[in-house]
Amino acid sequence: MMVGSGGELRLVGIAAWSILAFLILPSLIIIPIGFGNSNEIIFPPNRFGIELFVRFFTEPGWVSATLVSLRVACATTFLSVVVGVPAAYALSRGRFPGKRLLALFLLSPIMVPGVVVAVALYIYFARIGLRDGDVRLVLGHVVATLPFVIVTASAGLRQVDPALETAATIMGASRFYLFRRVTLPLIRPSIIAGALFAFLISFDEVVISWFVARADTTTLPVKMFSSIQWEVSAVLAAISTMLTALSALVCLAVARLQGKESA
Amino acid sequence: MVNRTTAAPMVHLDNVSKNYGAVQALRSTHLEVRRGEFLTLLGPSGSGKTTLLNMIAGMTGPSDGQIWIDGRDVTEVPPSRRGIGMVFQNYALMPHMTIFQNIAFPLEIRRIPADEIRQRVMKVLEIVRLPNVAERKPKELSGGQQQRVSLARCIVYNPSLILMDEPLGALDKNLRDQMQLEIRRLHSELGITIVYVTHDQEEALNMSDRIMLMNGGSVEQLDTPHDLYYAPRTRFAAEFIGRSSLIPSEMIGGGQARLNDGSVVRVNRGANAGKGHLMVRPESMRLVQAGNVDAGMNALQGTLQGTLVTGGSITHFVAHSSNTTLIVQELANERRTAFTSGEQISVTWPVDAGIFLDR
Repeated sequence: MMVGSGGELRLVGIAAWSILAFLILPSLIIIPIGFGNSNEIIFPPNRFGIELFVRFFTEPGWVSATLVSLRVACATTFLSVVVGVPAAYALSRGRFPGKRLLALFLLSPIMVPGVVVAVALYIYFARIGLRDGDVRLVLGHVVATLPFVIVTASAGLRQVDPALETAATIMGASRFYLFRRVTLPLIRPSIIAGALFAFLISFDEVVISWFVARADTTTLPVKMFSSIQWEVSAVLAAISTMLTALSALVCLAVARLQGKESA
Repeated sequence: MVNRTTAAPMVHLDNVSKNYGAVQALRSTHLEVRRGEFLTLLGPSGSGKTTLLNMIAGMTGPSDGQIWIDGRDVTEVPPSRRGIGMVFQNYALMPHMTIFQNIAFPLEIRRIPADEIRQRVMKVLEIVRLPNVAERKPKELSGGQQQRVSLARCIVYNPSLILMDEPLGALDKNLRDQMQLEIRRLHSELGITIVYVTHDQEEALNMSDRIMLMNGGSVEQLDTPHDLYYAPRTRFAAEFIGRSSLIPSEMIGGGQARLNDGSVVRVNRGANAGKGHLMVRPESMRLVQAGNVDAGMNALQGTLQGTLVTGGSITHFVAHSSNTTLIVQELANERRTAFTSGEQISVTWPVDAGIFLDR
């Protein structure tokens, strides 16, 4: 029988915490820099204030890029839920030939490198002559977010007791009535979780956006990425701080939803 | 209309069979369930009873044959249009709805006005003796209460037929007995037709008007509980329902069977020739001192192996030389000579209590 000695256990603990710190500290260091009043990225900052946040709202371009990102993220979320939830329902409840192949196809963007998807979309959009910046961004983002919505909705559907659907059917419910009154309410937490993920992924997306965005519709991450090539602006730290807060909020919301679901 | 409803059986299966690929889950089966009858499909798992129930419900279609419910051919009718009710082992109550909403659900599907829904739900909650749970969620109720709600959800829309798929399987023993009475009460008070599935023979004997005993995808015997118990037609039926002594033997004509140790006993009914088993129910048998046998009784010699006292009854196990264990059940308060294990004794039974089974 193998029993780890106290010393070994402590070593494993130290290793685990070091790795966690290595991964998470850079994101945390950004936060004090964001509250620094310096024009350079310095850690630790010598003065504190909200000047960088004020600059975000006043310097040209940042707010409009944020609005583009919000608009695109909302449309992407809506579209991926509207397409993803019925797709997940069909994949989990339907019986039709090629079901496994369709599932593989719908989930394939997870397996294909993002840059490959981005280049492919760039060529494809040029070929079909799609010029509208928002539409290009939304369609590109949906490719990336759809698998996540399908996966979370499918997980929710697996949790639904098949006897509930059988019972409703025998009581006389049509397929649509059953979906609306039984299945949909039961998987609502999964759908909301999937939607939040979709929003976050779209809001953060750089690679696909970089390839498909047009000059007049720059998203916030793309503008950050391009601005850092010219100057290392400390405003980026303030923006990063806000993005980190947004991500944390969304993850907390998802965790609460999933806690509720399993309760 | 009147003619149809009085003449036709509630359920009529006409040569219905079901294959899954090369596997025959149900061999060609004929069944008529009478109006107001409580019929139980009884059998071990894999006997085809659930397949049969699912076909009546419409969850699976038969490979061959026709299904009639209430005088209507429903073979091609989807489950939502069959006008039946079903009670499930795990209750299948909607977890996101209150008890009221759960019971109102089938009425809402039928677009019944809200005030009538309220009246009918409250009335049915009283029928199942749960008047004060309307605003609770299913998980706040006990298993027994949940199953009563699911019964209420069924009877609230007056289906002509209610199917029950092991509805008491998830409940503990005491609650099960109580719910058996409850279901029987609803059955007789409301005059509904019930097709009930269980693997519990005691439950089937307690509740049913008739039992269809199934085995390996075909009907073993369809009879009243009494006839199934006292006149089983096969060895499987004798062993599945109640306990019995099964002694290998051969009919030698004149209503007599010869055991493989040479002794001859008289048999009441069954096949008149061939090899098979003599079946005697434990409560028909008595233990007496060796050789002290009343005239007109069948008797076998044996060695008492042991005795179990279970409350009001005593069960003796007696080894017979045919390599069979005879099971003898007597009432505990009867005065009788005490026997000790290992003792040579005689087992007797009336000549009309033995049945010869050649299958």
